[in-house]
Amino acid sequence: MEDTVAVKSPAWRESRAASERVRIRSGIRFSALLVYGAGLVIFFIVLCALFPGQIAPYSPTLMNVDAIIQSPSLAHPFGTDYYGRDVFSVVVHGTRDSLLIGIASVLVGGLIGAAIGAIAGFLGGVIDTIIMGLIEVMMTIPGILFALAVAAAMGPSLFNIVLAVALSAVPGYARVFRSQIISIKGRPFIAAARSVGAGRVRIFARHVLPNAWAPLLVMATIGLGTSILVGSGLSFLGLGVIKEIPDWGTLLSQGRGYLTVAWWMSTFPGLAITLLVLSVNLLGDKLRDRLDPKKNRI
Amino acid sequence: MSNKRKIVRSLPVLALIFAIALAGCAQKPSSGESSAAGGASPAAAVSSASPSAESGNTPQGGELSYALATSPDQLDPHRSGYAVAVRVIRTIHDSLVAQAPDGSIHPWLATEWEASPDGKSYTFKLRQDVKFHDGTPFNAEAVKYNYDRILNPETKAANSQSLIYPYESAEVLDEYTVKLNLKTPSSAFLGNLSQALVSIVSPTAAEKYGDQLTKNPVGSGPFKFVSWEENSQIVVERNPDYNWGPDSLVDNTGAPYLDKIAFKIVPEEATRIGSVQSGQILAGETVPPQNIASLANDAKLQIFKSNTQGLPFTLFINQKREPWGDTKLRQALQAAIDVGSIVKTLYLGTYDQAWSPLTPGTLGYDASLENANKFDQNKANALFDELGWLKGDDGIRAKDGKKLTLRYVDGSPNREKRNDIAAIVQQQLKQVGIAVEVEITQDFRTVIFEQGNYDIYGNSQVNSDPEALRNFYHSGAKSIAASQNLPGYANAEVDALLDAGLVEQDPAKREDIYKQIQQIIIRDAVIIPIYVFPYTVAASKTVEALKFDSLAYPLFNDVYLGK
Amino acid sequence: MLRTAGLRLLTSLLVIFGSLVLVFSIVYVLPGDPIRSIVDPTTVSEETLASLRAELGLDRPFYARFADYIGSMLRGDFGKSLLNDEPVLPKILKHLPATLALTAASSLFAAMVGIWLGVLSAIHRDRWIDSAARVIGLFGISMPTFWSGILLILIFSITLGWFPAMGSDGWKTLVLPAIGLGIVGAGYVVRLVRNSMLEVINEQFVLTLRAKGVSERLVMYRHALRNALIPALTMIGVLSGELLAGTVVIETVFARQGIGRIISDALMAKDIPVVQGVIFFSAVMYVLINLLVDLSYRVIDPRVRRLQ
Repeated sequence: MEDTVAVKSPAWRESRAASERVRIRSGIRFSALLVYGAGLVIFFIVLCALFPGQIAPYSPTLMNVDAIIQSPSLAHPFGTDYYGRDVFSVVVHGTRDSLLIGIASVLVGGLIGAAIGAIAGFLGGVIDTIIMGLIEVMMTIPGILFALAVAAAMGPSLFNIVLAVALSAVPGYARVFRSQIISIKGRPFIAAARSVGAGRVRIFARHVLPNAWAPLLVMATIGLGTSILVGSGLSFLGLGVIKEIPDWGTLLSQGRGYLTVAWWMSTFPGLAITLLVLSVNLLGDKLRDRLDPKKNRI
Repeated sequence: MSNKRKIVRSLPVLALIFAIALAGCAQKPSSGESSAAGGASPAAAVSSASPSAESGNTPQGGELSYALATSPDQLDPHRSGYAVAVRVIRTIHDSLVAQAPDGSIHPWLATEWEASPDGKSYTFKLRQDVKFHDGTPFNAEAVKYNYDRILNPETKAANSQSLIYPYESAEVLDEYTVKLNLKTPSSAFLGNLSQALVSIVSPTAAEKYGDQLTKNPVGSGPFKFVSWEENSQIVVERNPDYNWGPDSLVDNTGAPYLDKIAFKIVPEEATRIGSVQSGQILAGETVPPQNIASLANDAKLQIFKSNTQGLPFTLFINQKREPWGDTKLRQALQAAIDVGSIVKTLYLGTYDQAWSPLTPGTLGYDASLENANKFDQNKANALFDELGWLKGDDGIRAKDGKKLTLRYVDGSPNREKRNDIAAIVQQQLKQVGIAVEVEITQDFRTVIFEQGNYDIYGNSQVNSDPEALRNFYHSGAKSIAASQNLPGYANAEVDALLDAGLVEQDPAKREDIYKQIQQIIIRDAVIIPIYVFPYTVAASKTVEALKFDSLAYPLFNDVYLGK
Repeated sequence: MLRTAGLRLLTSLLVIFGSLVLVFSIVYVLPGDPIRSIVDPTTVSEETLASLRAELGLDRPFYARFADYIGSMLRGDFGKSLLNDEPVLPKILKHLPATLALTAASSLFAAMVGIWLGVLSAIHRDRWIDSAARVIGLFGISMPTFWSGILLILIFSITLGWFPAMGSDGWKTLVLPAIGLGIVGAGYVVRLVRNSMLEVINEQFVLTLRAKGVSERLVMYRHALRNALIPALTMIGVLSGELLAGTVVIETVFARQGIGRIISDALMAKDIPVVQGVIFFSAVMYVLINLLVDLSYRVIDPRVRRLQ
């Protein structure tokens, strides 16, 4: 690590004060541009989810035996797939389910996980031990295996995939949130609050929680993409949902065998996922910075 | 450190650029060199080596690495049920008889045989010079031991049980003469004996290893088993004593030219084909249709292709579920599905369309069915209307307030793009007003065989005799929980014909019987045949003289590694 | 200290027991008769099925089967595979090393690349290096492993010919799968390290250190990174489980031996003894890794030590 620093030096030597200034002046150019771009992408993605029929030039189920596996052109900007469907239209129509899988499983998993983690971390003691024991039992069965077992047990459907992904994410959220809370509990300002006589609930609500959820937000923004990818992984393992209009993860998995002959089939759905994950994360970070109570102090 | 950092930092970006550039290149049609293999069948008799000469000018030695698409379940022939296992089992074990691609039966471990006049027993004269890999001599006792072993419940025999039907007992007449007694006469019996799943294992080894014979298979075949590393590879080595290869199938009846074959297990098709392209391995099976054309144009590679026999991939329409018991309705369905465009779309001209319940190479195949039943949407619509199924506002047909729906069940994973067939059928039927509900499930066995909860289910079976039809179309077809007769078909005429076909000894009459069966099944729209599966192998051009038996299983006796 | 360690060990054992109960229950509710995976229902008679079922004890109640299992497990007998009668314990022990090697290599890749990019990103907050590092990290997270795996094969095996596309013999076969799997982990670590660093940089003690004139380098690496590593460590603990799960996909893509493939095959084929055996081992491994992570908290963060 030490020599990493040495290499880093030019930008490094600036004083911190100077770098603060840089951040405010020139830095904003890079990050602000990214954030605006991210906002635009998300806006468009949401549009696609809401009004796919108005955006897509073709029906996503229109198969054409005379137009299979065509490379991108003016008529088909993303090319056509092995059914002769317009890949752009399929991707646009697939937005809704992709978002649904991502958002629903993050919400469900994140809320349950955070609640469990918060209770365990704040109360501590026996309750912590028991809850974390149960969480650890769940953790010993890694996420995708859990999803695999659920999908295998309950059959592949959109709801089951969401449930499987959400449940498999719960332990992760719980653990991270708990460790964050424990870390905050040890800080001086909590001790200070305690010393002035603040009650447990008050300390928890006013001091611990607001300081603890940043990593959770980061996890959630990442989780959005991960959920779509777990769905994709299930599809790879043969446990995916087959729908008339596939989500991006399924498209990616289905097109992988054509990577050498028709890269566009899986690359464009892949890019869609990447853009979504990228944008959500950039916005998430921005949001985190805005809401960070400590930041205002500087 | 600094270098490493640079690489790491730029890796994902580089990867993407490479991938896109690469894909662009790969996609360009490479012209010329089309004479090379061109997706055609393996050249006949490539090897110039004379059958007996082991020296000759055929290059000796070398190891062939051969990638399989899935892992064999068992290497104990009597307990396996997977086609992929047969590819390995065939190298280690021999059968009593061999079936040539034209369906004729030839000597292998048996030199000659005779059926009793009533057709209820066969007497085999055996080769006297055969030894199993563990030194155990092959004789009449060994044959009896093997077939009795299949019947023994403790063996937990799988497909071999139905292949050996109606075998009842064996009598050892002398050391090299054995008489097999059947419960009923069967014209399919002799042909079935050629199949690898009822090949002969060493009795000594079977006794010694018991249920672990699967990990220590011992036969009398051209290759000896060396090792099986699960999910990695199975290695077999040359049997130097081998001298009893079936001359009806291979040129080299002596010991094989190769020192070793390493069967690598590579499930992901991109990896399997990529390993052959990169030269890491010499051959890989089951080439995806989209790769066949580009690989055939690769100067370093060749494609071997051989059609499988038996039942083609067929959609069975479940007559037990309403409203599909109505023959006319099924005929409308038959006319509404454009099989030609399905096969063309998904298999890009590399698979043949199927027209009959049997594949073209199977005994009694009726070629007159080809192109007989064509896709005709207008006819389909007219038939549906005539039957009172009329289109509603939502575009779905209904009758007496009941919507016309169809439940299409298929297994997962997506083998041979079968799930994609379901997706296309769904769209095609939507056009004539049928709402298709597609269920792709890992657990199709429960859904299909226990619950019978399907209107359409597709399946195929590799088999050597048209008697294979019995399990699918005879009303008395037995199974465990539910009907194995997938279409739920009960037609006394077909039943009688199947029973007659089993015992008929005159091949010409037998053919005629099976032709009638095929005609009736198609006329009654019991099924919708889709495609004939070709077994394909992508191999380096250095791999010479790979041959296939009548069921499209590879034979390595003649294979040698050229330059 | 000794008491805490003892307690920790006890809970670890409980956790392993709990995961066995969980797996046993999950397998129990899986639909489909496991017998179906052993024999083809189309060819075998009812009697054979019934006798097979009895032999395997499938007709007995849940608790009896579980008690039996625990009993024989304690004697080192994990049962036999339903598919090919192979004893489960040797089977797992044979495949474990390959998976461990892959998990370790990819964890290392993830930790090194991730921490380095994360620190870089935090130090150069809001500059282009930061943006680039974050985007690279996000790329890792937003690609499914099977896809990046196939890309790696396309580039480094087929086109460049540097590394083999498949197999599990020798270090060369480890490189591509480790990267394929590690990319995802690295993506997570980058994010977490960056954010924790930024948090810590804003803490009072860092301001104090700066005010005292401690060199910026020292502030960053001695104090900020050290504090930022706690969430990152938790993450790596969590990740080790995910990486283990990631082997399910990556081992299939690269045709490697390993318990990832064993368990996915077993799950799909309902090969119950194998599923249970593998889960037991991955539970043990998981518990061990996290025990280490927990202990390392104490080393890194004195506050945690004080708390307990």
